[in-house]
Amino acid sequence: MSYEVSESVEEGVQLVTVGGVTVPLGLTQAPWPDPHMDIDSYDPDADLMALNMGPQHPSTHGVLRVKLFLDGEVCVKAVPYLGYLHRGVEKLCEKLTYAQLTPIVDKNDYVSPMMNELAINMAIEKLIGAEVPPRAQYIRTICAEIQRVASHLLWLGTFGLDMGGAIGGGASIFMHTFREREMILDLFEELTGCRFHYNTHTPGGNRHDIPAGWDAKVRHVMDHISQRVEEYEDFVRDNPVFRARTVGVGVVDPLLAIELGISGPILRASGVDHDLRRDDPYMAYGDIELSVPVQTAGDCMARYLVRLAEMKESMRIATTLLDGVPEGPICSLKPVKLPGAVKAKEGSTYCAIESPRGELGTYIVANTERREHAHPYRCKLRPPSMHALQLLPYLAPGNNISDIIVVLGSLDPIMGEVDR
Amino acid sequence: MSLPGDFLVLCRDRLGIEEVSDEGPMVPREQLVAFATALKDELDFRFFVTVVSVHYPEVEAVPADEEKGTEAVPGKPDCTQVCYRVRRLPNAERKTVVVPFRVYVPTGETTPSLAGVWVGADWQEREQYDLVGTVFADHPDLRRIMMPEDWVGHPLRRDYAIETAHFPWR
Repeated sequence: MSYEVSESVEEGVQLVTVGGVTVPLGLTQAPWPDPHMDIDSYDPDADLMALNMGPQHPSTHGVLRVKLFLDGEVCVKAVPYLGYLHRGVEKLCEKLTYAQLTPIVDKNDYVSPMMNELAINMAIEKLIGAEVPPRAQYIRTICAEIQRVASHLLWLGTFGLDMGGAIGGGASIFMHTFREREMILDLFEELTGCRFHYNTHTPGGNRHDIPAGWDAKVRHVMDHISQRVEEYEDFVRDNPVFRARTVGVGVVDPLLAIELGISGPILRASGVDHDLRRDDPYMAYGDIELSVPVQTAGDCMARYLVRLAEMKESMRIATTLLDGVPEGPICSLKPVKLPGAVKAKEGSTYCAIESPRGELGTYIVANTERREHAHPYRCKLRPPSMHALQLLPYLAPGNNISDIIVVLGSLDPIMGEVDR
Repeated sequence: MSLPGDFLVLCRDRLGIEEVSDEGPMVPREQLVAFATALKDELDFRFFVTVVSVHYPEVEAVPADEEKGTEAVPGKPDCTQVCYRVRRLPNAERKTVVVPFRVYVPTGETTPSLAGVWVGADWQEREQYDLVGTVFADHPDLRRIMMPEDWVGHPLRRDYAIETAHFPWR
């Protein structure tokens, strides 16, 4: 490599700086495995077996199909096949007007719909040059943080299922986290009228203002969930099965992750201190101090720890912001009566937010030359899950099938978002 | 959006482009890999954000009509613009920045793949090939990724109608 390399030691972890990025030295493992390896070139005496995992299998988080080449029980090569949930959202976006996009993109990452709405509406606002009133910014940020907690709760529950019930036995952690997640859905139901797919963001602001007494309920729920999160920690802190299944399994090389475009908890678990909420603040994140949890082990355990710490941090952010919600309007544009009321000028824009899975970006091209003022000419959604899933061919070789399922679970892919 | 100074210097030195718009410099296809490598190795844009192909169908030229008083409209060939976004991760000042660049590809021609520069371009270029039909030369594994393997056509092209029935799914 032709980059400048320097080494340092911080808190007992040896760090290396490669090309402007400081990462833990122990995690860099170049050369990386070749995802396009010719399977015929593998040891001809080996008794290889091709096994199809998915698409209709609960451990593949929706409809992911992975073709595994196995030598005994050890994976030699993994080839993911996507597209089983492809719904043509980007093509639909070209046919719909800007005001109609929100409910469509809601369904992409169905575990955190608030984030999808926020991402696309921020891109539209950037494109048409609309301001968002401070009150709407605060409501959006609070909703985003509560949604992050809900999303990580769902992840924790399904991760417990992936491990064959290694946390607390059977599906018990799943039941626990879903009980807590239900409380958050109730909060959103009171705010927007919907438990899922809220359609509450609109270009220029929000549709729904905070109802009376809602903030007290949020505080109560956040208090309750923080206690429960500590309980989850107690579940697994010294659980030998959980430790055996996660410690040292699926170690992600941070330099590979960066090149693949992976961000969010996966990157932070590999020791890269990067969070768009702090590094490129949007909405109300500029007004508060954020602490970004970082782990340096890069394995499934580190990703679990990062997500758990993120949940606590999100609850703190949500309750802190609730104290200072400014008064004022919640939308800078007039309520949309006609779908074609939001019009854009010529140009293109890319706008990214930090979703629970990483950088959720929206790229919109507006082309007025072809008389399409109210429609995007091209709309590309950048799903963080799809980038995270690209890690699987690199992580799977050398692992048992049972470990591949744990690794896949720790990457937290949402297939609705991957396939769009 | 303001682009970072070192990126503008690179555009001037490598491409001879003085004025860079917010949509990024138009990189000649033969210089694309060298430009991308310089961006990654010299300027530390190591985080691959996204690649988007945008299809522009052919526009027929309209001559000026003096009776109606309309002006002549120049024709445009059928083409694709491939837009890239790459990110520099936060430095000591905790600022991260995204830079754009793009390539013009006439229909029927290929553009070099950047999967050799950023490994993350692999699936993203496959997706753009599948949906928009841009052919990336020297891509390690250029297959369809979203649509079925035997699908005909590229759905995100602007001349691909979604109202029309397509074999065999309708």
